[in-house]
Amino acid sequence: MTSLVLALALAQYTPQEAQSLFVEGNDAYYKGDYAAAKERYEKLLQAGLGGPDVLFNLGTTHLAANELGPATLFLERASRLSDDDDIGANLAVARQRQVDQVVGAETTAVPFTQRVAEAMNERAVAIAFLATWWLGFLLLWLTWRRAGARVVPGLIAAALLVAGATLGGALLVRAHVTATVEEAIVMPEAAKVREFPGEAARVSFEVHAGLKVRIMETSGRYARVRLPNALEGWTEKEGLVAL
Amino acid sequence: MARTGSALVIALVMSASALAAEPEVTMQADREKVGAEDTFRLDISIANAPGGSSLSFPVTNDFEVLGRSQSSQMSYSVGPGGAGVVTHVQKHTLTMRANRTGKLTIPAAVLTTPAGNFTTRPVLIEVVAGRLQAERPTRRPPPNPFGFPPGFPGIPGLDDDADPQGDPMAQEPDVPHGDSDLFMRMSLDKSEAYVGEQVMITIHLYSRVDLSTVDTVTMPKLDGFLSQDFKTPNQLMSEQRLVGGVPYREYLLRQRAIFPLKAGTVTIEAPEADITTGLIFAGRRVHKKGNELKLVVRALPPGPATSVVGRWRLSREVSQTEVSLGEPVQVKLILEGRGNLQGVQLPPLGAPTAFKTFDPEISDKPSNSRSHVGGTRTVEYTLVPQQTGTFTLPAMVVPSFDPEARKYDELRVDAITLTVKPGAGGANVVTAPGTPTLGEQGPKNQLVGGGLKSLRHSARFTAPTTELSAARWFLPLALVPLLLTLFAAAFFFVRGSVGPESAESIKKKQAKAARKRLAAAEKLLLGGSTGDFYVEVERALTSFMSARLGTPVSGLVRADLVTKLTEAGILELERQRIVQVLETCDVGRYAPGMGDVSSRKRALDDAAAAMEGWS
Repeated sequence: MTSLVLALALAQYTPQEAQSLFVEGNDAYYKGDYAAAKERYEKLLQAGLGGPDVLFNLGTTHLAANELGPATLFLERASRLSDDDDIGANLAVARQRQVDQVVGAETTAVPFTQRVAEAMNERAVAIAFLATWWLGFLLLWLTWRRAGARVVPGLIAAALLVAGATLGGALLVRAHVTATVEEAIVMPEAAKVREFPGEAARVSFEVHAGLKVRIMETSGRYARVRLPNALEGWTEKEGLVAL
Repeated sequence: MARTGSALVIALVMSASALAAEPEVTMQADREKVGAEDTFRLDISIANAPGGSSLSFPVTNDFEVLGRSQSSQMSYSVGPGGAGVVTHVQKHTLTMRANRTGKLTIPAAVLTTPAGNFTTRPVLIEVVAGRLQAERPTRRPPPNPFGFPPGFPGIPGLDDDADPQGDPMAQEPDVPHGDSDLFMRMSLDKSEAYVGEQVMITIHLYSRVDLSTVDTVTMPKLDGFLSQDFKTPNQLMSEQRLVGGVPYREYLLRQRAIFPLKAGTVTIEAPEADITTGLIFAGRRVHKKGNELKLVVRALPPGPATSVVGRWRLSREVSQTEVSLGEPVQVKLILEGRGNLQGVQLPPLGAPTAFKTFDPEISDKPSNSRSHVGGTRTVEYTLVPQQTGTFTLPAMVVPSFDPEARKYDELRVDAITLTVKPGAGGANVVTAPGTPTLGEQGPKNQLVGGGLKSLRHSARFTAPTTELSAARWFLPLALVPLLLTLFAAAFFFVRGSVGPESAESIKKKQAKAARKRLAAAEKLLLGGSTGDFYVEVERALTSFMSARLGTPVSGLVRADLVTKLTEAGILELERQRIVQVLETCDVGRYAPGMGDVSSRKRALDDAAAAMEGWS
């Protein structure tokens, strides 16, 4: 909330002005003026006034204009902030329109740690961790100096500490995944993926707008990308936008 | 009369033969100065050659003979004295081309007769680089039997199929030096074109030898072009053609329409072919490479952005203009004409939002005219009205560029009004209850799911946030309780290890030692002497009491011991149990019958119970 107030102050948009800009974007969309609609939503984003609603509308506008790269990018970003069904539905439409069909993606499972990190509500887990962790130690201290029966409070403290340690471990896994796994969306209509970073390298395959890839490493102006079915190659970084 | 005339002619000829003049041979070229790329004719005339004569043609490496022909003629004239003279002239014509530049000499030809040799004069030719001779059109396109006569304009746009750049095949191909019998030539119908304009690329084979088959034809790479096959003959068909005055058989190998994609000068690589010459069983396979070509591609002139290049006509058809709610309407956009059909992109229909518009079905029907590719593209939309009322399909204006007229044009279709009514089975139809209405069988207002989900009409704005666990304070806050616990544990451990021992601690230690002693007595339960066992039990209990009371109790009489215990706050029941254990030990040490295991075990249990009850 504090950051939102700060953003509104820095952007010099009052909440009413921001809402008005949002509605202007919607009106432009319904008139078929997608360029004007995108401009309004992007202004809000540049002012730090994001959120799943703005991202959803911006992604949907790009999708209506058949710009699959930005459409997928903004809808994916919206889906990370909200599990709203509409976001998933439009994202499914964007994926359906994509040129690329990643064959064999179903057989190559996403690593467990990545699935845990993606499924986790970080804020809730972080708060639960702090609560159980502190409560467990407080109970431990009380039990320690207690003169009378200490078995029951000791067991409760132990249970809280075990739960806190588990939640803390989950946070560590998420931090590791965040630090090591970078996903991106292919933006140009077509991008060549080469066997090694360089213009002279043989082209292994081609990817197209809207495809989600994982960036494994970078070298110069190239990035090594991996597809969900483990297909890999080097493509130009400027054609990718991180999620 | 006829017989009399013929006989007279024969008689004259016979008499004139006797008066034939001596042989004469001359040689001359049709020009004195030629270009190295030009061909020229060398005529050798022999008059009155006697029987058995033979002609030796001039031999030189400076010139190449591309073709030979021969003719003869006979003339009769009246000589001096009225005698008839018959002159028999043989004419040999060589089509030649110089192999190098400079002032060159064609050596003399020699006529060998029984009467001796007759020699011509050498011919001097000046050869300069390039071509002096204007290219000669050798063939004209056949007139279009169905076309308009000269002076009448055709249907604008579509029917004027004549190539404005001229027939490319009218250009005479260059005959390669040293390979004049069989060569391949690629040509374009224009040397400059706009982006998206059709350029026809044609590959011909020219031959003066017998051909068996053309095994393979490798087209040049056409990077930077969209291309479409125009003609690919299934079998070898030839036409006679004079090239530089030399008759050739011309075979069409391939013809392809190409459409440049970007501006610039493009080099089109040479085509290649494998050809089998000669008869079927005595054939020889040769590999031939054609010529490279350059094409200058110009960007479209400034104007509206368009992908429609060519001569096109746009029309729109609607299956019906008055429909019932839910009844589908078919709208066809039809683009026909000539140009690159694959590269054309039509704008969306722009149907009113009151209609659900399904993805269109696109069908292309290519068709080629005499010199252009083209066809018809039909984009068929299905619209299902979702509301009643009158709606307008807006007019469409598609900019296009006509490369032949070199100007932009507009393809235009007019607006169409569609009226949507509730339908025959609407609410106005009254039927008996239970009777199926027309509306149940007729078109329905189809509410089809799918498509994009609607926009959010209002927004909850959130500023970009960092993760809670990534905040700077998070890790210290998580580590504080752990570190505090560790510090506290370390503190108590150190204090317990190096600090002065408290009375309470000493008491605990002594009580612990007493319990150990009781454990030692337990070892004597089965094997040791009865006296030792009870001594150990008594010592364990007295040591325990000394530790707990903080004062030695061994040696005290029972009454003093009880007093001490009472002062220490020990309950009556516990005091009695302690006294009882001590007396059991006294009895056990001296009285027989207390040495059995059950008695010992009972004493041990009582002592343990007394200790437990105290602590």
